[in-house]
Amino acid sequence: MSGPLKAGLLALLLAGFASPAGAERLVSQVSQEEVSITSSFAGATLTLFGAIEPEAGAEQKFVEGPYHIIITVTGPLQNRVARRKTNEFGIWLNTAQVEFVEFPSFYQVLSDARLSDITNPITLAEQRIPLAKQPQAAPGVSWWDADAFGPQLVRLMEEKGLFKLNENGVVFRSDTFYFAQVALPSDAPPGPYLAHTYLFKNGNIIAEKSDGFSVRTIGFERFLGLAAHQQPLLYGLVCVVLALFTGWLGGVVFRR
Amino acid sequence: MQIYLPIAELSMNLFFLVGIGGAVGFLSGLFGVGGGFLLTPLLIFSGVPASVAVASVTGQVVAASTSGALSYYRRGLIDLHMALYLVLSGVLGAFGGVATFQVLRAAGQLDLVISLGFLILLGFVGTLMLIEAARAIIKRRAGIVVREKLPNQHNWFHGLPWRVRFKKSRLYISVIPVLALGVAIGFVGSLLGIGGGFILVPALVYILRMPGSMVIGTSLLQVVAMMAVTTVLHAVSSQSVDILLAFCLMVGGTVGAQFGASAGKYLRGEQLRALLAILVLAVAIRFGLSLIIAPSDAYSTGVIGVGGVI
Repeated sequence: MSGPLKAGLLALLLAGFASPAGAERLVSQVSQEEVSITSSFAGATLTLFGAIEPEAGAEQKFVEGPYHIIITVTGPLQNRVARRKTNEFGIWLNTAQVEFVEFPSFYQVLSDARLSDITNPITLAEQRIPLAKQPQAAPGVSWWDADAFGPQLVRLMEEKGLFKLNENGVVFRSDTFYFAQVALPSDAPPGPYLAHTYLFKNGNIIAEKSDGFSVRTIGFERFLGLAAHQQPLLYGLVCVVLALFTGWLGGVVFRR
Repeated sequence: MQIYLPIAELSMNLFFLVGIGGAVGFLSGLFGVGGGFLLTPLLIFSGVPASVAVASVTGQVVAASTSGALSYYRRGLIDLHMALYLVLSGVLGAFGGVATFQVLRAAGQLDLVISLGFLILLGFVGTLMLIEAARAIIKRRAGIVVREKLPNQHNWFHGLPWRVRFKKSRLYISVIPVLALGVAIGFVGSLLGIGGGFILVPALVYILRMPGSMVIGTSLLQVVAMMAVTTVLHAVSSQSVDILLAFCLMVGGTVGAQFGASAGKYLRGEQLRALLAILVLAVAIRFGLSLIIAPSDAYSTGVIGVGGVI
């Protein structure tokens, strides 16, 4: 047997083992792998698109739906606290706080139909898809507190525009080609982002794909951000010199 | 036009920033104060995180006070000897203030302390100033000739040990009240992001009995030095100085201050003081209300550190 033929057979075999039920695969792409924050950054819109194809080497030459797509876009993880104000002695102050670890700074769920119509709540929960499944209480936080503060934290993030569920965010252009648009707000935290695409058929996940992109400051803004954290003393001194110079210049320009 | 602030990690309108810098600069030029006590709250109310607002305004206060301090220096109206004592003790206070700032930020009580601090300080100073200015205005209306207080009237604490002669101010007093004043201003200033000029000026006049001609210049120099040190301390310890934010404010502030200073010539001293007192009280009341009125949202959230990458 010739080499290429052997390899082809092997691939066929592997494909057969990997997905015995479905023979579909996802081909996906993010329109921009790097979103640059420049001085005039006012948010950005990314397009996530892809197609459902027969698995490489599969006998089947076409795929049959109906398919559903859910895409989650997760921003850099942070440790967050949720605080609650209460009225003590007539003034409002923060009296309770609960820490949540590895909490996404940005999270959007996009789908082509209602999540509850695509699959069952158990599958959604297992994949941690719903917004409400994001808060993970830090070790040592009682379930009672986590239960009280978690939903509030998600609500606050939704109000800030950083968390969003968009159940008609994915649009099928044909039976197998979809696209989705993700709007990043101007205060989208810089860092690595992950777009995870789930392909559903009859309520089951039959393929998954992850695409990463990064949001980063470039040029001058990046330089400033790095300087502030890596050379804080020098950065502070430069601030002071700049301030003294500006003040002096103001005095000179306007002196009568 | 939006401008991205790399440390605050948000976009703000450039004209808004230069505008509030200019408006506050106008008032600071008018009243001879740094303006930090107005600018910090304004930034916090417009969405800048409190820690970034406090730290960046210190940079702006340096710029706003520099041109004033230079012009007083040229006219020989600064008591450098007194300023040296104030600055050295002030630096000590600033270290304490910045350390406290860090502790409060970690404990989630920074916003509360800033609100309470402004409320108490501004409420107290504003009330005193208003009473004093109102009396002066009433007396002038009644035709009573107001005599300037004699500069060399002494209080009991002027007689404490370690007396030092301040030639320019014609004072021979103990350094203890001077140093205590410096530490207090340094601490409060770095904690609240204010220059402290509006506390220092009355303190120099009424507590140390410094001659009026020397007060403004010396206080401006003290503010420049203190805020310069505080800016560096904030840059090192909390890394929350946003140089772009500070620069936008500085540009507006220095320009506004020039116009404010020329506008100030058309108002009499006690009228200026009364207006400033009303302004100070208004800010105090705004902070007071935010403490006693039920918040629209009892919950709030903040980042406490980077949890790593996905």
